[in-house]
Amino acid sequence: MGGIVCAVRGGPDSQPTIDRAIELAQETELTLHFLYVVNLDFLSFTASTRVHTISKEMRQMGEFILLAAQAKAASQGVEAGGVVRKGNVGEEIVALCHELEAGYVVLGQPRLQHDESVFTQQLLDEFVEEAERLTGAKVVLAGGGVQ
Amino acid sequence: MRRELRFWSLVALLAGVAAALVLGSLGGAQAEESLPPVITGLVIDSQDQPVESVLVTLSTADSEAVLSETETQADGRFALPVPEIIPAGLLIHFDRPHFAETELALSPEAVEALQTGESIVLPDTVLPRQTSAAFWIATAIFVIMLVLIATGVLHNTLAALLGASLVFLVSYLGSPLSENLYIFGFERALSYVDWNVIFLIMGMMIVIAVIERTGIFQWLAFAAYRLSRGRLWLLLPILMVVTGVASAFLDNVTTMLLMTPITIQIALAIGVNPLALLLPEVLASNVVGISTLIGTPTNILIGSYAGISFNDFLINQTPGVVAALTGLVFYSWFIYRRDLKTSGGGGMSSVLLEKLEERAQITEPAHLRKAAWIGLGMLVLFVIGEQLHLLPAVTAIIGATALLVWIRPDIEEMIEAVDWTTLVFFISLFIVVGAIQEVGLISLIADMIGGLVGENLVAAMLVVTWFSAILSMVVANIPFTAAMLPVVGYLTATIPGAESLVLFYCLSVGSAMGGNGSLIGASANMVTAGISERSGHPISYVYFFKKGFPALLITVALAMVWLLIRFLVL
Repeated sequence: MGGIVCAVRGGPDSQPTIDRAIELAQETELTLHFLYVVNLDFLSFTASTRVHTISKEMRQMGEFILLAAQAKAASQGVEAGGVVRKGNVGEEIVALCHELEAGYVVLGQPRLQHDESVFTQQLLDEFVEEAERLTGAKVVLAGGGVQ
Repeated sequence: MRRELRFWSLVALLAGVAAALVLGSLGGAQAEESLPPVITGLVIDSQDQPVESVLVTLSTADSEAVLSETETQADGRFALPVPEIIPAGLLIHFDRPHFAETELALSPEAVEALQTGESIVLPDTVLPRQTSAAFWIATAIFVIMLVLIATGVLHNTLAALLGASLVFLVSYLGSPLSENLYIFGFERALSYVDWNVIFLIMGMMIVIAVIERTGIFQWLAFAAYRLSRGRLWLLLPILMVVTGVASAFLDNVTTMLLMTPITIQIALAIGVNPLALLLPEVLASNVVGISTLIGTPTNILIGSYAGISFNDFLINQTPGVVAALTGLVFYSWFIYRRDLKTSGGGGMSSVLLEKLEERAQITEPAHLRKAAWIGLGMLVLFVIGEQLHLLPAVTAIIGATALLVWIRPDIEEMIEAVDWTTLVFFISLFIVVGAIQEVGLISLIADMIGGLVGENLVAAMLVVTWFSAILSMVVANIPFTAAMLPVVGYLTATIPGAESLVLFYCLSVGSAMGGNGSLIGASANMVTAGISERSGHPISYVYFFKKGFPALLITVALAMVWLLIRFLVL
């Protein structure tokens, strides 16, 4: 068991996920790693050629969001790392779990069924199964519990 | 002796000039004598607009043989040569796709005049429009293109390219089957492409590509925070002004692409809802962009079509824009009053503040200095360009080239920075809009609006502004504006008092500020929503409409009031 991976996007909906990850880190005493994935698909219909420019800005925004989460963890006595990746959220979670040999993955519950950048309930269920199979880590859903 | 020499030199010079003048006048007389008689005239449509490329042929009443032929020029005029031997009973035939064929019999007096070597001038010929299958096909292609763009089924460029290709496909493959399927040929299509617009956008893209890498936006946003000292009621208008001014000189999408991430970071650091800063910013971007010729693509289109200069936009739009922005600031304070009260600079985390300061640095100061000098030079050329007959596109290209030569960036990167897809989008769009203009759809719409407003300029101003604003909420404003240009051109030519080009300013206000009414109304809205959503602060269609639509009503009304004062009172 190498650690805990917690994928966050920021915003009020991510707070329960961050809280659950901090709680789990306190319980297990494993190292917590927050993950932010830069996804620029939304530019495809409006500013597809600006990917180079915006990519750097989004990465910095992601680092900032993670910094806020890390500060929150630190205030509760948990030291956490932050990783920013670019690409598909699911693939990057699996990849980071492999790299860190993570024991747990903490994810948020789907909020909107039509929100493209987060999992729908069905996709989440499929992903949980797939992630556990591929990484061997336990998936914890904030507000849900260990799957 | 010397005085005598001077005198005779002067005499010789004067004599030479006189001789030249006399010979010239004789030559002119000879030329006039040798000119064959011609039949001249003017061809117009039912809206009194000149009709170009009408085939005018001369034939006899009892034979189909063509004696001579010519085509009308851009101003609708033609000069038809007549043969040496002129038979009696002459007919003039006018033929052009999408217009009813018209025939005119010359009077015996006119024929007699021609036979005696005199030229004649025909009364103006009105060619009525003809609604053929091509009309409906071109209309359908245009509507499909708009739907594809609005729904996002296809990329804007692909949708426009598809539209242009369908126009050509129908014209070239359909016309052998039925001439009613002919829309226009390739050469005629190219005549609708406004290259001034294409080169102006291209030049500005290069300039923007250099500026956006310098970190100036991040620095400005953080400077706004510092200036406000964390007081949110002050931070909000400062950010709106910074975004607005940037949008007046750069395109709105780039401005929001760079302002949104840093604004979110500031909001997170001080613990305020990011939407309370982002929404007002993007609304301001759409409003203030229209104060200059280069601020929005719609202004570039309007300026090039109507010949409105950089100065004209600045003088005639800026006061209205300032009024609209002021209204928008008050409105934003009101709708976000709770968010703005709940927290402030005191909540700024020291860790996050440190990070923000680190980010808010000018990353390429030398490039920024050079870009500032070039930008200043371009601004001067934009302002004085009218006196020098210097097209804005030429200024943009000169500025972009000067910047590249001075900074020497990686040329491959710069070429990549030019949004070629957007340029292809504009070219294709011009062709599709040209198609509906060619088949008469634009004339039909112009007739309808003309019938609605009559000769009442105020009514026309209200209709153009609000019609544009409401439609821009759901229809992409660039194709909409491109299609409306000839309509507004017709109204300008027919409504007394509209020659001040006021209706084009109304179109500018409506099409740009109308983008504030819905999330899909402007590309800058979509980009802002996309980034905001990636930070966990989604902007839904309903949320944007609830906040944006009242903003549309306020800003358009205020800008409208200014235009009424500027063009009807002052």
